[in-house]
Amino acid sequence: MKNLAILILSGLLLSANASAGILEDRNCGSCHRLNTEETSLTAPDLHYAGNKFQPEWLKQFLKKPEVIRPAGFINDPEFLQGSTENRPVHPSFPEEDLNCLVESLMSLKIPGSTPAPTEPLSKGQQAKIKYQFERTFGCISCHQSLNLAGKVRGGISGPSLVNAGNRLQADWIADWLSSPETYLAKGRMPRYKMDPATLGQFTRFIMTLKKENIK
Amino acid sequence: MTMNQKILLAGIIFLLITGCGQNEQATPVVKPPTQQEVRETVPPTPQPKLAQVTAETRQTYQWYCAQCHGINGKGDGINAKFLTVPPRNHTKAEYLETRTDEQLFEAIKFGGLSTGRAPCMPAWGHTLDEDTIHSLVQYIRELCQCEAL
Repeated sequence: MKNLAILILSGLLLSANASAGILEDRNCGSCHRLNTEETSLTAPDLHYAGNKFQPEWLKQFLKKPEVIRPAGFINDPEFLQGSTENRPVHPSFPEEDLNCLVESLMSLKIPGSTPAPTEPLSKGQQAKIKYQFERTFGCISCHQSLNLAGKVRGGISGPSLVNAGNRLQADWIADWLSSPETYLAKGRMPRYKMDPATLGQFTRFIMTLKKENIK
Repeated sequence: MTMNQKILLAGIIFLLITGCGQNEQATPVVKPPTQQEVRETVPPTPQPKLAQVTAETRQTYQWYCAQCHGINGKGDGINAKFLTVPPRNHTKAEYLETRTDEQLFEAIKFGGLSTGRAPCMPAWGHTLDEDTIHSLVQYIRELCQCEAL
């Protein structure tokens, strides 16, 4: 019995080390911040990747990276230049790495996610929030989104939200909107003080944005 | 002229001579102060202190505003060509001199819609404190080299 416990414990430790190790082995920390002790670098923080991303999306992204931030990362010296040339392309990883990478990234979590409502929006609510998204809060000025005709539109200084419903977790969106400083000391996005009902509806609206809806 | 009328006339003349003379002695003529005297004696009305444009103001503009308004404030930020309404060119005095500082302050704090302008401009009132917004208004004045008409 004692030997079995030691075996299981050793297995868990090896698994944890393998998970932590692959991020190091693949040099992820040279661009991404993987824990709060590191300073912000040249790519999005990943020390809360487990709060933020959906594992299936992560897997697809790591296999075949797509552009999330057309203007680059906010700390990039070239960020305000708008040039998309000579931008570093995110590496793609072989199939055998994917599960371990995703597991590793999903294990990076910080406390504090707010449970977001999950029930779908009515058509009326969807139209109302879409109006607020574009006009009241001006999100479309910096984030690409989908218009009513299913076409991509919007600014490029913020990360694209065209596929946010597949990429992000609802709880993280709600938490980001209510307390962004939990995740990023100083972003370039304005802070909003939404009432809980609006916050919930906004979260649900963003979760409806999926690339399969592009027409 | 009857006797009564003569007495009345004499009384009026007496009063005019004695009374006026006494008044002149009691209340001397006060001349209005000259402008110089006014300047020396009346403390100036305190003027509201204008916010200062500091290095921090410029950094704030670059960090937040330049995304749409551009590095030099010419309305050509990286988001500009994707917006339905072009961002304001802060170097053009023609429009900005028609806006008061208060209107610019409100547009930054409460967003474009609050002042009847484009909804593309979000509200920054929960991100920037009022002193910072005042200093941004002054920075916009510096960029346009203009004042409100």
